[in-house]
Amino acid sequence: MSVFIASIGFGLVTAAVLALASVGFTLQFAVTNVLNLAYGGVMIVAAYAAYALNERGVNIWISAPAAVLIGAVLSVLLNNLIYTPFGRRGTTPIAMVIVALGMTLILEFGTQALAGPTNVSYIMSQGATVKLGSIELTVVQLVIIGLSIVVMILVHGLIRYTRLGKAMRATAANRNLARNCGIRTDRVITVTWLISGALCGLAGLTFAMNSGTFGATSTDIFLVLILAAVFLGGPGQPYGAMLGALVIGLATEVSASIIVSDYKDVAAFVILLAMLTIRPTGLLGARA
Amino acid sequence: MVYYITTLLVYAGVDAIACLGLSQQFGVGGVTNFGFIIFQAAGAYVAGALSLPSDHVDGGFQSYIFGWHLPFPIPWIGATVVGGLLAIPFALIVGKRLRGDFAAIGLLVTAVMFNLLVTNYVPLFNGAAGLSLVPSPLQGSFNPQSTGYQWGYGIIAILVAFATYLFVTRITESPYGRSLRAMRDNDTVADSLGKNVRSLRTSSLIIGGAIAGLSGGVLVGFINLWDPQAWGYAETVVLFAAVIIGGLGNHRGAMLGAVLVPVAFEEATRYIPPVSGNPNLIPALQWVAIGLLILVFLWFRPQGILPERRRKLATRFASEPGTEPGALQSPPSDFAAPVTSPSSVGVIETEVENETIGAGAADGDADTAPATTDVILECRDLVREFDGVRAVDGVSMAFKRGCLTGIIGPNGAGKSTVLAMLAGTLPSTSGEILFRGEDVTRLPAFRRARMGLVRTFQLASEFKRLTVLENLLAAIPDQQGDTFLGALRGRRRWGAQERELIDSAQAMLEQFGLLGLADLYAGDLSGGQRRLVEIMRALMAQPEVLLLDEPMAGVHPRLAHDIGMQLVRLCQEGTTIVMVEHELSIMDEFCDPVYVLAEGRVLAQGAMAALRAKEEVVEAYLVG
Repeated sequence: MSVFIASIGFGLVTAAVLALASVGFTLQFAVTNVLNLAYGGVMIVAAYAAYALNERGVNIWISAPAAVLIGAVLSVLLNNLIYTPFGRRGTTPIAMVIVALGMTLILEFGTQALAGPTNVSYIMSQGATVKLGSIELTVVQLVIIGLSIVVMILVHGLIRYTRLGKAMRATAANRNLARNCGIRTDRVITVTWLISGALCGLAGLTFAMNSGTFGATSTDIFLVLILAAVFLGGPGQPYGAMLGALVIGLATEVSASIIVSDYKDVAAFVILLAMLTIRPTGLLGARA
Repeated sequence: MVYYITTLLVYAGVDAIACLGLSQQFGVGGVTNFGFIIFQAAGAYVAGALSLPSDHVDGGFQSYIFGWHLPFPIPWIGATVVGGLLAIPFALIVGKRLRGDFAAIGLLVTAVMFNLLVTNYVPLFNGAAGLSLVPSPLQGSFNPQSTGYQWGYGIIAILVAFATYLFVTRITESPYGRSLRAMRDNDTVADSLGKNVRSLRTSSLIIGGAIAGLSGGVLVGFINLWDPQAWGYAETVVLFAAVIIGGLGNHRGAMLGAVLVPVAFEEATRYIPPVSGNPNLIPALQWVAIGLLILVFLWFRPQGILPERRRKLATRFASEPGTEPGALQSPPSDFAAPVTSPSSVGVIETEVENETIGAGAADGDADTAPATTDVILECRDLVREFDGVRAVDGVSMAFKRGCLTGIIGPNGAGKSTVLAMLAGTLPSTSGEILFRGEDVTRLPAFRRARMGLVRTFQLASEFKRLTVLENLLAAIPDQQGDTFLGALRGRRRWGAQERELIDSAQAMLEQFGLLGLADLYAGDLSGGQRRLVEIMRALMAQPEVLLLDEPMAGVHPRLAHDIGMQLVRLCQEGTTIVMVEHELSIMDEFCDPVYVLAEGRVLAQGAMAALRAKEEVVEAYLVG
């Protein structure tokens, strides 16, 4: 029983990282209709950017903005230099998936060529262990959860209460109509990719902190979790992604405590396939 | 050195086989199976586990299922069969009407998870360590280490690849392959013309899966080991890159791509000496290079090095003297019916086009309709909701045999929706549809098409990468070569019929004045020409009832009039036509009776002249 409750704690940490990642992913899909499969690649590049500073003796929390910055800049470049030009050419969604996978290979193995094949870890203290009943989490894990909650509230505020948020929602609903109404959709899209890229960088950083050691291809499986969370909530739905992240985060860690930890990601996979075949618009999405 | 060359030879063969499988599945069938590598992996595992002795023999250092120690070639056959069988559950995912990229992701993730499961579940295929010491074929009779054996294996791999090429080419160049390509270009339209899209997709998956399985079997017999690292999801990306770079839809391109991408980038570079200090640099850069290669090719040459070849059937058959020279000289107004038709559309009249028919008013047309005025198609209380909005709200209509019935109404009245529900391309929310007295409400579009209920589309719906002639041929029902087995039996089976069909399609083209365009891609035509192709294609399907969705839109008025004349003639021959149209003058001239739809309901019906007098009809049109 205590193992089960303890797994809820780990589930919340995974959900916190996953929420950062999935909300970024789903925002990108919302405004540009592209499933950015290179997302995991950008995450890991951002994680390595922080590592590059950390390795030279900079405290990881001070290096953190580097990860966020690299995530944001790389995402904007990816959209403006790759996806948008290909999209303008009328590249089919399938070819776009192949483009994204090609970018994944370039980002991940480019990182590997520079950083080497061995896994690395940040030089950092995990902090004291805090006990809440059977749930035991380190200070760092609690900080990750707190950070994620704060970011989710900020995203909520941005989407609901700002002009930019309104413009983003309008662009997501109908880009041509939004442009005809005087919204500078190109700028909205770029800003959205900048924000979602920052989330992606933050997700990469917290992912690397939480998993202890990481390598250039570590996010391959994590991308499956992101996709599961995004499709559970409905692609393009930020609140859906938050809900999906919570469900998938808990489902993977709890199932790991009940079954065998080797198969914990299978739960996410089953949910993803079920959503794709039964209700691809997600729990919070419009009816198909 | 010899070992290096023979290894490359085997890899070239294996990769060519796999790429041909993918080329058939993706390039010809348009099925995007991003889990393709699973099938190669399954073939390799099964061939390995079938040829290995029981897992207790080697001191139990590895565990696996089977272990039957079967002689060559049974493991290769087993690999092929398992690859094919494994495809069946995949058909469930791909068969769904899912956005292409969503389905692709589902399959990609499936590949990642299969790898995870096989890595972690040791009893199946020895987990992460994988199978090793897999016996080479016939190693009792030959020494697998000998140079002769190595060369022999390389040559056999190439020969198997060549046999695979002949196999997939035989399918692709048959009428069955034409149906696959039609589905690839537009599955909804293929469905509406009587193609069983689900069955075509499933067979594409099975054929591709079996070929991939075979490639795995051939590979494992040579390298003698197989583990989860050999088939990461990225290997699928490599194969897709190879097929795209080689040329999508061109099997020779697929083989060229196999040699260029997996062989040249992955295998040939395997023996570049490692860079001191960073032993993983070369493999990592290989992956980067493959990623760049994909981007560069999709940007600069998306059609590949050897693009899909245009099949110039008209030119080819015209150049052969003595083949039915009379077919092309038939009178221009003759609707030559395809010879195979089980229920040929009545008498073929050789009457010269007669302006007086069209000159008559609506009531005049009603008189010329055949005496049989029984109802052939009927719908009752048809309803269609979109997100709670009732686009069609209880429509009941009856269409009489041999009549040219019109449906008019303002934008958003639900005309096209009704047509789509009648044809089955859109399911109805409630209500029922009767065709020839049978309830067809639940029948899929392709079954209704095979019964003789065929539609056209409002938006351009030509099969873009089929020539105009092929577009017409694809619609003809009951072709001898339009099944998998028929295709396998080859030209001897379907060649003679194909020639007759080409003649009848050319006669149709001649009549519409498009014979000169027969060998052009339909996607390259002008808007008006594409509409004509669509109408001709629907006629080739031998419909009893033809549902036309704004057939005259974008067509020159003079040509629109000619089309109207042809439609009237068809009705006289017994075909029933239902036509949605915006242009009231066309309704005046050709259609009787006419239904008026507004806001999802039938507002009025009757002869056009009578409708014009009704106030509510005029109002609905002007206000709407």
